[in-house]
Amino acid sequence: MSSNSIKRTSVLLMSVTLLGAVVSGCGNGGGSEASSSPSGSSSASSPAGTDAATPQASADSGKKIKLEVIETGNNLPAPDQDVIKKELDKALNVDFNLTVYASGDDYKNQLNVRMASGNFPDLFALDRQQLIEFSKQGLLLDLTPYMDRLKQATDFIGEENVKKGAVDGKIFAISKSSQIPYNTYFIRKDWLDNLKLEVPKTIEDLKAVAVAFTNDDPDQNGKKDTFGLTGAELNGAFAPVFGAFGVGTPGTVYEKDGKLVNALYDPAMKDALAFIKDMIATGAVDPELLANTALQHQEKAFKGQAGIIWIDWPNMTKENMIEQIKAVNPKAEWIQIEPPAGPAGKFDGSWEIGNTPGRYAIPKALEKDPEKLQRVFDLLNYVSDPKTGSLLVQFGVEGTHFTKDGDKIVMTDKAGEVGYSWLYQFTGRPELSYLQTKFVPQAEFIKFAGDQPRIQTLNGFVDLPEGYVASDADRYIKEELAKFAYGQRDLGEYDKFLKTLETTMKYKLFMDAAEAQLTALGYGSK
Amino acid sequence: MVKGLEDRLFNAFVYAVLVFCALLAIFPILYVVSVSITPFGEVLRNGGFILIPRDVTLSAYKTLLTQSNLPQAFKVTVLITVVGTAVNLILTGLMAYPLSRKNLPGRRIFLLMIVFTLIFSGGLIPTYLIVKSVGLIDSIWAMILPNAIWSFNVLIMKSFFEGLPEELFESARIDGAKEFRILFQIVTPLSVPVIMTIGLFYLVGHWNEFFQAIFYVTDRTLFPLQVIVREILMQSQQTLENADNITPTQTLQMAAVMIASLPVLVVYPFIQKYFTKGMLLGSIKG
Repeated sequence: MSSNSIKRTSVLLMSVTLLGAVVSGCGNGGGSEASSSPSGSSSASSPAGTDAATPQASADSGKKIKLEVIETGNNLPAPDQDVIKKELDKALNVDFNLTVYASGDDYKNQLNVRMASGNFPDLFALDRQQLIEFSKQGLLLDLTPYMDRLKQATDFIGEENVKKGAVDGKIFAISKSSQIPYNTYFIRKDWLDNLKLEVPKTIEDLKAVAVAFTNDDPDQNGKKDTFGLTGAELNGAFAPVFGAFGVGTPGTVYEKDGKLVNALYDPAMKDALAFIKDMIATGAVDPELLANTALQHQEKAFKGQAGIIWIDWPNMTKENMIEQIKAVNPKAEWIQIEPPAGPAGKFDGSWEIGNTPGRYAIPKALEKDPEKLQRVFDLLNYVSDPKTGSLLVQFGVEGTHFTKDGDKIVMTDKAGEVGYSWLYQFTGRPELSYLQTKFVPQAEFIKFAGDQPRIQTLNGFVDLPEGYVASDADRYIKEELAKFAYGQRDLGEYDKFLKTLETTMKYKLFMDAAEAQLTALGYGSK
Repeated sequence: MVKGLEDRLFNAFVYAVLVFCALLAIFPILYVVSVSITPFGEVLRNGGFILIPRDVTLSAYKTLLTQSNLPQAFKVTVLITVVGTAVNLILTGLMAYPLSRKNLPGRRIFLLMIVFTLIFSGGLIPTYLIVKSVGLIDSIWAMILPNAIWSFNVLIMKSFFEGLPEELFESARIDGAKEFRILFQIVTPLSVPVIMTIGLFYLVGHWNEFFQAIFYVTDRTLFPLQVIVREILMQSQQTLENADNITPTQTLQMAAVMIASLPVLVVYPFIQKYFTKGMLLGSIKG
């Protein structure tokens, strides 16, 4: 009996070992497949060059090819209800599979796992940091030799945006075309009228109006249940106030009098903080300001708690928003105002010009499949063609979702069905005309927000140096500035704060990198 | 039996604490229910806070069930839950039962291997590679098979089986029953509490399926409920890009939460009696 059981045990053990061997064998197979693509990267330029030289015969091979694209986003309908997918399938002879992830973190994890495991999507969105990392690891296709085959796309986004996809002089990603700013202060006109106040012209006016909104019962309900200003945290609510002092959003770098300046080191920063501190001390600012995430500030404005808000026009002026505002109070009337003036003039906060709303890269592994690669190029070119594909991803299907009146595009009442089309705008869109076509009733707000002067910040051009952990530094900056603004730390200690930032948080590394990289691009040399 | 003042005070105190705890649990649910059936304008007018709805509408539910990906996701989740739980229970039972027999050769080695997986795991990327190389990516099985057996549940079930009196097995054998008959006709009927309890663990796990879906599945038609609900909730964070997105109102969001959590909420009370019994399993007998 016992010898029998020993035998059984050994047989079992053997079979398990065998199983293990089989499994690991499989694993090896998969592994070598995956690792072969980065290893091939050392000889990056030569095959790419020959590839580019071959004529585009592969373009119309007639075979339907599956294209997989991943990015962040939401609200994408199921494939069988997705008219844009269907149109793209038809136009490019592909089976288009777009997957979107609602949360940026989920998306990052997904992308990292897929890059690490060699299961590459054919086109994917990534941020600047990932672009640098993946390109250094040899996972991304160098697009430089293919530029002539991407002409339509590069023409569409423009030379300066093409450059934004470069790492060490090689283009690794196609960036989206630039956007325009949406945010301005909005103010309750009916509250101003109730209290017989003027639209604030200076930051002193702004403070006075905010105080009046808090103390003088602007909604005339006999209760002290309102406050003046709200927004998304300090940087949101006070963006135009920083602007009025000529200071960018804390942490940004910009040109001032021909020199490069970091907002935190801007001499006017202390003045701006002092003013903000005074304003908060009056009690006229949303007491939960620092806790406003997502759209909580908007909700407060809608509820009739706040009378001034710094926010984007879509969240204030779109029909469904108006409906909500009127549902609470039919008399509520919000108007857009110019940024209030201060010692340095008026700027409606900062606007980043070095960044792009998004960028897409192609995996290195795809160069082994020139036919598929060509389809990806076709896709990028197609969605950039102002006569065909670009219209599709902007406005939907002609005749169904929009009609052409000469050169003018008019949306039909079915336009709402393709509200998700922005997910397909891989190369962006001509922002102003796009918005004004899609949002006819909001055209004025769009133009107004776009026309306001802003401090042009350059952080997007700066690649973070190694050893500098941006998230730590950003958090420290945010926390300490909040302390200064709420009077928990005396402004006299501001220089001490900078000292800690430079040493403990290694901000000096960032400052030096920014200085060097921006100077190389020709900024701050006047 | 006459109770002293002290006893009554004590009881009163216990009741007070229990009522307080119950309120803490009921309050958020009530809030979600109320907001989900109140028109959003009404919600805003009340400062975004409603406990007892005055103006009831089911339009949010109607919108979700007709104009979103939710119905499809619901089907997927039900399928995963039903098939997945069945697979889980069969495999877990078939694994736990032999391990509970003391005369199984190599029992210690198998147990050691199971405990090992409780403490160490392969990590995300190796797991992804395995799922990929067996061809499960983008299939509904990717959400069922990788977690077909939870080692912890195997151990719970094993200790329950071990608690069954040995005499039962002996008498069955004397009557001529073989292993499978013993398992299915004697052990299984006696093990309803543990099967229900572990079944509920698995069921809730499948109902809340999220991570495997976002890692292994890219086909939108296979996304389970939680992924879609999360998408609906995340949409309130509008970015510059999606100006044409219509952000769902709070009413809509809460309705989505209700649709996602209601079925499990309904199932719980029916399994509860087994559940309390099952929770104690293995604690003494093991």
